[in-house]
Amino acid sequence: MKNKWTLWALAAVLVMGFATAEKVHIMWSGAITGPTSDAGKYYAQGIEDYCSWVNDTGYVSGIEFVCETRDDQYNNANTLRNFEEAVDRGDPVFLGYSTGGTLQLKPLVQEVGLPFIPASYHIGNIDPPDNDYIFLPIASYSEQVIAVLEYIAKVSPGAKVALAIHPSPFGRAPVKDAKKAAGELGIEIVEVQEMAKGLDYTATLKRFEKKGVQYIVYQNVAGPVANMIKDAGRLGLKIKHAGAHYAGGPDLLRLAGDAAEGFLWVTAYYMPHEQGAGAKFVKDLGAKYGRPADAIESVHYPSGMLAAAIAIEAIKEAKNAGKKINAENVYQALLKMNWQNKLAVGPVTYSKKDHVGVDKLRVLEARGGTFVPVTEPFSSALFRKVHYGE
Amino acid sequence: MSYFFQLLVSGIVVGSVYALAALGFVLIYKASRVINFAHGHFIAIGAFTAYALSTSLGLSVWIAAVLALAFTAIVGYFTERIFLKPLVGQPIISVIMVTIGLASVFGGLIHMTPYGSGNFSLPGFLPEGGVNFAGISVSYPQLLAVVFTGVFLAAFGWFFQRSTVGIAMRAVADDQMASMSLGVSVEKVFALAWAAAGITAAAAGLIVGAISGLNLEGLVGIGLKVFPVVILGGLDSIPGAVVGGIIIGILENMAAGYLDAYIPGGGTGDVFPFLVLLLVLWFKPHGLFGTEEIERV
Repeated sequence: MKNKWTLWALAAVLVMGFATAEKVHIMWSGAITGPTSDAGKYYAQGIEDYCSWVNDTGYVSGIEFVCETRDDQYNNANTLRNFEEAVDRGDPVFLGYSTGGTLQLKPLVQEVGLPFIPASYHIGNIDPPDNDYIFLPIASYSEQVIAVLEYIAKVSPGAKVALAIHPSPFGRAPVKDAKKAAGELGIEIVEVQEMAKGLDYTATLKRFEKKGVQYIVYQNVAGPVANMIKDAGRLGLKIKHAGAHYAGGPDLLRLAGDAAEGFLWVTAYYMPHEQGAGAKFVKDLGAKYGRPADAIESVHYPSGMLAAAIAIEAIKEAKNAGKKINAENVYQALLKMNWQNKLAVGPVTYSKKDHVGVDKLRVLEARGGTFVPVTEPFSSALFRKVHYGE
Repeated sequence: MSYFFQLLVSGIVVGSVYALAALGFVLIYKASRVINFAHGHFIAIGAFTAYALSTSLGLSVWIAAVLALAFTAIVGYFTERIFLKPLVGQPIISVIMVTIGLASVFGGLIHMTPYGSGNFSLPGFLPEGGVNFAGISVSYPQLLAVVFTGVFLAAFGWFFQRSTVGIAMRAVADDQMASMSLGVSVEKVFALAWAAAGITAAAAGLIVGAISGLNLEGLVGIGLKVFPVVILGGLDSIPGAVVGGIIIGILENMAAGYLDAYIPGGGTGDVFPFLVLLLVLWFKPHGLFGTEEIERV
């Protein structure tokens, strides 16, 4: 009898809780269709599922999150429209996506003071001017590429390297810093090649071979990278391949198969096949919300989760501090954030001067059809020197 | 020298894929004078149908490919029946706008399937690696592209020269009124041209899928590559599509191999063919093999 009353009381509390819960909107605008949607699709699913989990578990009491994932088709005009809608509605935080869209929105983000967490890790997003309200979830592309160059310099001193980059601001983001870092590391960047998705990369690869390139470092998405490394394998080239966050991961293994063996990849996220709370959390959430295996295994799925998690964590902090949930209070919460998350290899920390969440990265190597860490989590030794001159 | 020959061979191989993709475009234009802006989406429909059949139903890729060719032919046939037939005799701009609209509709429909975004790989149906000869390497999917192009070129060559329907198609292309007066069903010819274009588009989609994986943007992008190919070769010339495709493929590779090193960031392979295209069009505005239409006032 007592149990029965307890259950009724619990049910009443839950009903009352939902009835009185404050609704907080979080909008993401990104490419669910169109260019780079191979990443955007899973990123969006990560955001949706994390939000559902937060609501289902009552992770932030008194708040019901309404997370909207909007397809902007990688079109900046659509991103702008979505952002303006979020501003007009009074959303406390906005989740962005592309490099181009984020760079274009910077002045507006600064003007309206709405915290903005992009999927693009371009360092230009958080460089002055207009950089107060943009927060990167993990280390920038520049730091990722420099980190892999540091690893290459360690295992192959004096190596000749070519950068194969996406023909966009996303691809070009780390080039300047990578060139400076290569000089410090005693390795040579012999060529920077912009590469779109193509049917055949023989010409580029043979040219690299003629120039004695030992490593190709990719700042690109997995599709073109897979084709290039398959072509390199077919041509019998001994060149090794490495890449930043969006260049590698399980998507690359699926597309390139055996040709991906030995690929060096830098990211801050745990892999689903790893042992640990983060990987288990990702797998459990994917299973709970009925995601297919390719979504759960994609690195973009936890990437989306982390972006949503940072936003929700900041809102939670503002709520716990008894403050109104608005852009300014969420911004202040972000500036004080030091959150030990499960999804990435380091804590998410921000301050007035530091707008990079997870500062640690790992180098992983494709071995036997999976990415295996070959370093402990580390921060690039050179990045701050070459980028900030510190 | 092997560097030059590797680029040349790779260019021919890539050009064969462009040629295969361009064949369907030329077939439609040759029969009905319609410029099909939805051609890239036909390529995608063919490729994703084969992928869906082979992965969902567990069919072998070869059987899935045959079914995909048939399905895309049916899509082409009914596209003409439903959307293009009512436009016979209407201004060309109306027809062009309809094909642009069809591209959007097909794109939207593909996005409603699981294949609208993401990268997919056809199950392996060819041996790994490729053929190496005198330091030149060609993968098996690339070889298949050359074979497919050759087979389709021969088949369509025979079809247009020998078969009754093919001759009827040529007659319609030459003079619709005269053909009708001789009892040729112009409507039937138009629909068959769209069905045949669907077959070649699906074949091109399969080859692209085997070489570089399946991605909607990439497949539709191949459809766009068709434009310089057919303008260079001649909008209504089947041999022109093949020659134009191969020339564009070679130019892309040679530019990437010899010019990219001197241009910061490279990318000349994407631009150089268009420069040559402009030069060719200066001197031969109907393309290398296109029919010169002379209007007397």
